[in-house]
Amino acid sequence: MGPRWKRKGAEAKALADPMSKIVSDLRTSLMLSNSQGILSGRSVLLGADAAQTELLSRACFGQPIITAEKDIQWFELSMEEGFYLCYSLRCIKIVGEDKRVKDEQQVWKYMTSKWVAFPVFFKAYSHLRMKNWVVRSGSQYGVDFVAYRHHPSLVHSEYAVLVLSKESGDANGRLRVWSDFHCTLRLCGSVAKTLLAINIDSAGKGVTSPSCLDSYEVEERTVTRWTPEECRENQIVVENRTK
Amino acid sequence: MDLVDGVGESSLTPRSFRSFSGYDVKSDVYNRLVESENEAFCNPEFCEQLDIHFNCLPASYCLYVVTKILDFHLSGWYDVWPVITCVMEVEDWASSTGGTSDSEISVQDSNDGEHCHISGDIPKLQYRSIKSKAHWNDELGLAEIVEKKGRMWTTTGIVRGGNICCSLEETLFLAQEGALQLSDDDNLCLSLEEIYKMVGQRKYGGCWESFQVYRHMKSLGYIVGRHVLPWTIKRVKSNPISLEGIPEANLMKNRGQEDAKSMIELLNSLRINNLRLVFDVYPPNSKFKKSSPGNPSYVLCLLSDHPPSNPEIEDLERQCDGLPLKFCHVDHGRVSYFSFDKVELPFLP
Repeated sequence: MGPRWKRKGAEAKALADPMSKIVSDLRTSLMLSNSQGILSGRSVLLGADAAQTELLSRACFGQPIITAEKDIQWFELSMEEGFYLCYSLRCIKIVGEDKRVKDEQQVWKYMTSKWVAFPVFFKAYSHLRMKNWVVRSGSQYGVDFVAYRHHPSLVHSEYAVLVLSKESGDANGRLRVWSDFHCTLRLCGSVAKTLLAINIDSAGKGVTSPSCLDSYEVEERTVTRWTPEECRENQIVVENRTK
Repeated sequence: MDLVDGVGESSLTPRSFRSFSGYDVKSDVYNRLVESENEAFCNPEFCEQLDIHFNCLPASYCLYVVTKILDFHLSGWYDVWPVITCVMEVEDWASSTGGTSDSEISVQDSNDGEHCHISGDIPKLQYRSIKSKAHWNDELGLAEIVEKKGRMWTTTGIVRGGNICCSLEETLFLAQEGALQLSDDDNLCLSLEEIYKMVGQRKYGGCWESFQVYRHMKSLGYIVGRHVLPWTIKRVKSNPISLEGIPEANLMKNRGQEDAKSMIELLNSLRINNLRLVFDVYPPNSKFKKSSPGNPSYVLCLLSDHPPSNPEIEDLERQCDGLPLKFCHVDHGRVSYFSFDKVELPFLP
């Protein structure tokens, strides 16, 4: 199943406006303004000026928060998004509840304490983001993430992503029983997405520091229904029928 | 004449399929089957039976079925009737699971839920007067064919010392079709009931679920053999590929044990927890040769109580040595197949 562009010209527009460049511009802008995100529960709040607002929207990070404040647009980032900007792109600093800037190790410790599966989820998130896929929450579809080839206004998401991990069973306990398996597959089919299982092997490296992530192995597998009825049409070896 | 434009929603009215685009589908099928000179088709009841079966079909996929019938007569007419039933099952399944492909946008709720038969609608396979005969060899766990009838023997059974032997699922499939008469050591005819019981015993390398898979694939025209079991005895020596990676197989080769009995034992030992590589599947091929079948298109793995984990998938892939692997799950008489393909999402600009 290929990308489903939303309208005529969308694909061309996406080609002319590569995601890597948008993210790179965002990174530059945030670095120049010494941006800081505020840790709050399982979110990171980030204030953005007009240019950054546009870049955050085009790169699809976070959700805008509607406020009366004129000069600053506030965004709510997920832990993965916040950590990606902080650790992978190194373009924001993160401030804790004590109002002091936390270093990467401290942010990591905070996030892993809030959410045990954070390391594997972050690995999956960053794995796709680094390939310039747009990654958003998949909860609307009962999955972990959805992955878009470009901005969601231009293209439908192709993949419904589940993060699975070898260690201690699975990070999210998904696809372990037939009812869940059939349910997920059916749902993905009905919303025209391919189910993508991202298997993370932490290779016993643990979760003590974000540098452990470098050793995590990532394997992508699509989970699809196979229909031997349809497959046959492409494979038949028949003798010439015209006698 | 190109019969197939693919399956889709048809604008045909019911019963109009017979004169679609001026082409009389049923007559063409009938004529081609009779041309094949198989004596079974000359049975005067045959035309009537064909009529009944066509009348059961919704117009929208009669063309799809027709192609299959025409393909099947090349591999042996015994396969024809289950195809029709099977296609109806497939379409039922498709409409109740929201489509057979992931590109369906909307969930089809009609026909959802129960796959129920009204007792008057349950199709019966046609009684055949011409049957092959076989004798069940309990020690080998195989049926030895004593009298061959029909053209399906080019793609069914394994050759052992000039004789054809059938596995339990092949035997049951043919017996269910009414195409095979099976007898025991005392030359008494084994009924379908008795063969069902044999499957239940699970001592011949198969089980009810693997039989369901076999039946389904066979009905679609695929050539299906037990995984690893050679089509002819010669293959064991000349083509070790299918046995590689299986420690028990290497052990057997070293001991020089190549007879069918050891093969059955080997197959039983291949059960790994929940998972079992069961069948090698080849595409429909009227020129299939047991002496050189080539590599199968797929290897089927039968799953039972839970979907496979990633380590399990990787382990099975290693055992298949590069051959495409498909997973099947049997649930309430329905067989579902899945692929877990390794991919790598591209680096985007």
